[in-house]
Amino acid sequence: MKFLCVPCDSQMRLRATEENEPGSLSVVYECPECGYEMAMLTNQHETDMVRSLGVRIGPAAAAAIANPGMAASGEASASTGRCPFSAMLGGTTQPHTEMETAAPSGPEWTPGALARLESIPEMVRPMARAGIEMVARENGHQVIDETVLADARARFGM
Amino acid sequence: MRSYSQIEGDGGSGVAGQIADLEAAIARRMAGIRHVVAVGSGKGGVGKSTLTRQLGAVLAAAGKRVGILDADMNGPSQALLHGVRNVPPLPGEEGLLLPVSREGVKVLSVGSLLAEGEALSWPSASPRHTHVWRATRELAKLAELLSAVHWGPLDVLLADLPPGPERTAQFADFLGPQTAVVLVSIPSALARGVVARSVSALGALPNRLLGYVENMSGYACAGCGTVRPLFPESEEAAELSLPCLGRVPFDPRLAALSDEGRAITEVPDAGPVAAALAETARTLFERLEEVP
Repeated sequence: MKFLCVPCDSQMRLRATEENEPGSLSVVYECPECGYEMAMLTNQHETDMVRSLGVRIGPAAAAAIANPGMAASGEASASTGRCPFSAMLGGTTQPHTEMETAAPSGPEWTPGALARLESIPEMVRPMARAGIEMVARENGHQVIDETVLADARARFGM
Repeated sequence: MRSYSQIEGDGGSGVAGQIADLEAAIARRMAGIRHVVAVGSGKGGVGKSTLTRQLGAVLAAAGKRVGILDADMNGPSQALLHGVRNVPPLPGEEGLLLPVSREGVKVLSVGSLLAEGEALSWPSASPRHTHVWRATRELAKLAELLSAVHWGPLDVLLADLPPGPERTAQFADFLGPQTAVVLVSIPSALARGVVARSVSALGALPNRLLGYVENMSGYACAGCGTVRPLFPESEEAAELSLPCLGRVPFDPRLAALSDEGRAITEVPDAGPVAAALAETARTLFERLEEVP
């Protein structure tokens, strides 16, 4: 969807996106010529339509998707990712079986190992995290690094 | 005032580019797969998932590198059937690594992520309207997973599709025109009729329809080793206008093996079912190797 400033005949620029009430996105556009601003506010159905595509909406979205499924950010938590709408985007999964018994305060993760975890799809992370932390505990590791990740892969036959 | 196509770029989020990038990522991830086969039916309960699992094991036993994609996100069964329900996918150096069965088959199944008896939830912003978007969101999630999986080189990826003629066509379309399709039926007029609808639904797509497998084609008696009719003969059964790749009889021992996450290839002297699966797998792979 594109927006055109009619008086200027200029394409409006996406300036900001936020969810200022549950189920509604506010997408702010501005005209680079006259500075006029407008906001597109989505209803619940329109928000759901965006969710269903699995895409990101926002000024930085195009850059964020440059390497889909491969990017990692140290800023984001391992469970939520960096997409501001990630919690709205998906099916949800939780770890199960013996891995559910993971201690609430699990081992620490090095930035490298955390980045590796964040490189996999969000819906897989809880299970992967629980499995890796289980292996770390089994082997007496307090810190999860690349070595522990390799141990986990070996433990699960990968 | 300029029209849409006269303005370069999009609204600022690069939505079309995101979708193109995702599709490119999936194509890169699947580039090492020689054959992708969608195993569908249209009719539920014909043993499609079990057949897919066992055909994969037989192909692996024949030296083929096999992957399984459980495309049924609402009724995933392949993790359980392969005995990897408690094995998490893990991050590897080249992408998402999948659980591997005892036969060496790589398995992508939501069943590895959910507790038994739990279902995926799809929160919706619009209450009571989850049904409107659900199918699209399932495919988006599946695409996200496929864009991350490191399959490595495979000879065959078998995709176990959810039931429903329209879903069979939808997933064949999703997996791309290079994906071949195999349909599973049973010797009943009802099942054949539904499978015929799947054939019709697939007719609008460029995908290659390899043929069908008749499952539960008789009852394999473990006592005397004979195969006897399981369904009454019906003259009203729709004729499927496509090649039959094989007929696999029903054997309760196979159901028991499946519940245990085991393959027919683990059982010595498995009788007519093992022979039928081996013959079907051989025919299937030969058809795949034929130049269309």
